[in-house]
Amino acid sequence: MKKLLALLLTGAMAFSITACGGEEPSDTSTGSDAAADAGENVAAGTEEGAAGGSGEATDITLWTYPVGKFADAETVNGFIASFNEKYPEINVSVEYLDYTSGDDQVTAAIEAGTTPDIILEGPERLVSNWGAKGKMVDLADLWDEEALADISATSEAVVNACKSPEGVFYEYPFCMTTHTMAINYELFEKADALQYINEDRTWTTENFEKALQALKDSGVETTGVVYCGGQGGDQGTRALAMNLYNAEFTDAEHTSWTMNSEAGVKGLQQLVDWSNEGLISYDAGAQAADELQLFANGTIAMSFCWNASNEAQYASQVAFTPYPVAFPSESGTPELAGGIWGFGIFDNGDAAKIDASKKFIEFICDDPVQGPISVASTGFFPVRSSYGNVYAGTEDEARMETFASFMPWLGDYYNVTGGWAEQRTAWWNMLQQIFGGEDVQTAADQYVEICNKATADAAQ
Amino acid sequence: MKKNTKNGVTKRSRALVMRETRSAYLFLLPALIFFVGFIVVPMVMCLVTSFFNYTMTDFEFVGFANYVEMFNDPVFIKALKNTILIVVVAVPAVTVFSLWVSTVIYPIHAASRSFFRCVFYLPVVTGTVAVAVVWKWMFNKYTGLFNYVLSETGVIDQNISWLGDEKFAIWCIILILFTTSIGQPIVLYVAALGNVDNSMVEAAQVDGATSFQTFWKIKWPAIMPTTLYIIVITTINSFQCYALIQLLTSGGPNHSTDTIMYYIYYEAFKLYRYGYGNAMGVVLAIIIAVFSALQFKLTRAGSAE
Repeated sequence: MKKLLALLLTGAMAFSITACGGEEPSDTSTGSDAAADAGENVAAGTEEGAAGGSGEATDITLWTYPVGKFADAETVNGFIASFNEKYPEINVSVEYLDYTSGDDQVTAAIEAGTTPDIILEGPERLVSNWGAKGKMVDLADLWDEEALADISATSEAVVNACKSPEGVFYEYPFCMTTHTMAINYELFEKADALQYINEDRTWTTENFEKALQALKDSGVETTGVVYCGGQGGDQGTRALAMNLYNAEFTDAEHTSWTMNSEAGVKGLQQLVDWSNEGLISYDAGAQAADELQLFANGTIAMSFCWNASNEAQYASQVAFTPYPVAFPSESGTPELAGGIWGFGIFDNGDAAKIDASKKFIEFICDDPVQGPISVASTGFFPVRSSYGNVYAGTEDEARMETFASFMPWLGDYYNVTGGWAEQRTAWWNMLQQIFGGEDVQTAADQYVEICNKATADAAQ
Repeated sequence: MKKNTKNGVTKRSRALVMRETRSAYLFLLPALIFFVGFIVVPMVMCLVTSFFNYTMTDFEFVGFANYVEMFNDPVFIKALKNTILIVVVAVPAVTVFSLWVSTVIYPIHAASRSFFRCVFYLPVVTGTVAVAVVWKWMFNKYTGLFNYVLSETGVIDQNISWLGDEKFAIWCIILILFTTSIGQPIVLYVAALGNVDNSMVEAAQVDGATSFQTFWKIKWPAIMPTTLYIIVITTINSFQCYALIQLLTSGGPNHSTDTIMYYIYYEAFKLYRYGYGNAMGVVLAIIIAVFSALQFKLTRAGSAE
């Protein structure tokens, strides 16, 4: 009896281990599992479904970073349901990533050979990181003449951002935006500082300084915070430092970094000087999320990390009017950082999955009905000029018109420069150094040296 | 006949022993599979790949190049110094404080003792992320509790960026680590004090020993194995301090809170330099092994006395 019990226990334990290790979620089934599913789906399929391929079911996985409502399961499931009406033989399972641990999950998946089929993010990851490392599929067939012309009509920079220096398209985009800053309208009004902002929401560096002084004089304790506790939202601090004296972040070819130029150093030095004078604050313990919360609370008078999506996110928390403005610049003509989001396909070596993934991407981005809905769900703007105003007739129309007005100042998309990941860390470390008292030129030179080395390594 | 019987018994015994041994190994097998699969194999892989330029795109043998680079890497040296500082401060502080708390709460009423044990154990069972979020709020430069109290009491004129100032950041990390590390030692020490032979304590008191002498000569040697365990575990945990850094400072400001564990993560997951990260992992494992061996030796010597 004892022996029998011992044997049963051992068997149960061994089985449980095997079961734990071997089990795969049903929605990520591949190979024979997929083939087994095929019968059911073909039986339920439509003519369009059958036209989608050989009639066999294909399971694909989609990983999304939180780009607007692509972080919301209900929204994405709705899109997939619409897709399945057209392609019932393609099963799409979704995993939602965040910007804190998403990159680590993808890295682990790449090394383990368990990458998803489709991933939603921007060129800095899809093109200059995973694409450059040979992990992504060439999407040239999605970029047909019509798509190329339509997207080029919006901005040639979008097209260039989505392809490698060798001309291989690793991203198929569908939405874009410009990152701005925002002010607390009522605080500025009270300080009589609105006079320093132009009607088109631009302002000069000189007027920005006057506004800071006016805010301080009116009793605002902390005007704005140059956050540098990590890389989150670093596009804001980069745009701020770069625009103050109209510096360039990289050369035109995106082969070297240039913030140690005279204009770049002058902008950085200006921030340090304002900090020393108490006109602005810096916090090496804060990232963009912390700064945004301070802004939403009304603790600070401006945010350097604003866009249409953030405005929608913090709308319920603010008890004032967040007023989007461009970053101040010496010339009065800012160069705003952009965001371009779209899909890439990991090369998992399965032609059927790649084909199914392309169908999904085409549906989400290009379908005449679904395409504009997909864009609107992000809270950003379409890369396709033919979509026009996707917010027309909605309650967001007026609000989005404001953000659309910043598009002419969309600057160079230097995020595709090789060594981008190293640059991001080096940037906030450099800010910490200069606000900690290190010589600005020396710190900027070191920063550029690190970035250029990373770019050279990436090119090898 | 007698011999045959004896032989028969021996054979039966051997068969029984064999069967028991086989059963024992079968019971151990699941744990062994886990141990080999998740500890031994990764350790060997870590050691082997530390000699390679192993990235997302390359896998090239480079000998000791990663190790040479490591000791010429100022960030690694800084991270090593920070890690040792955390260990040197946190381990004695955790051990002494938990021993003191245990000796204070051990004699009190059982219900009160349980209450204090729960209070000190709470940070251990609370998720690291939740703990970090609360501490981050308390350390906040603009709305944090510490700055509010200190400025209201006139101790500071200007708010301090606790996690953003090189002078304070590492000490803030050590403070949080301390609060999350004392729970288990306190529970263990209370249990260990309960196992001290009371007759020896009473005999010492009858012989006129003071409270300090009773503790030092009777209780301390008796709880030495627990102390050894606590020191070793706290040392390993302190060496592996990562989550707090990742959640609170990302190693900043200016690398003042970088630890080896965080730097390994940064090199491996942000820069995809797996080989270099593994080389650092090997060095960290060696350092932990040396520290643990020293602690075993020293505490055993103390126990023998």
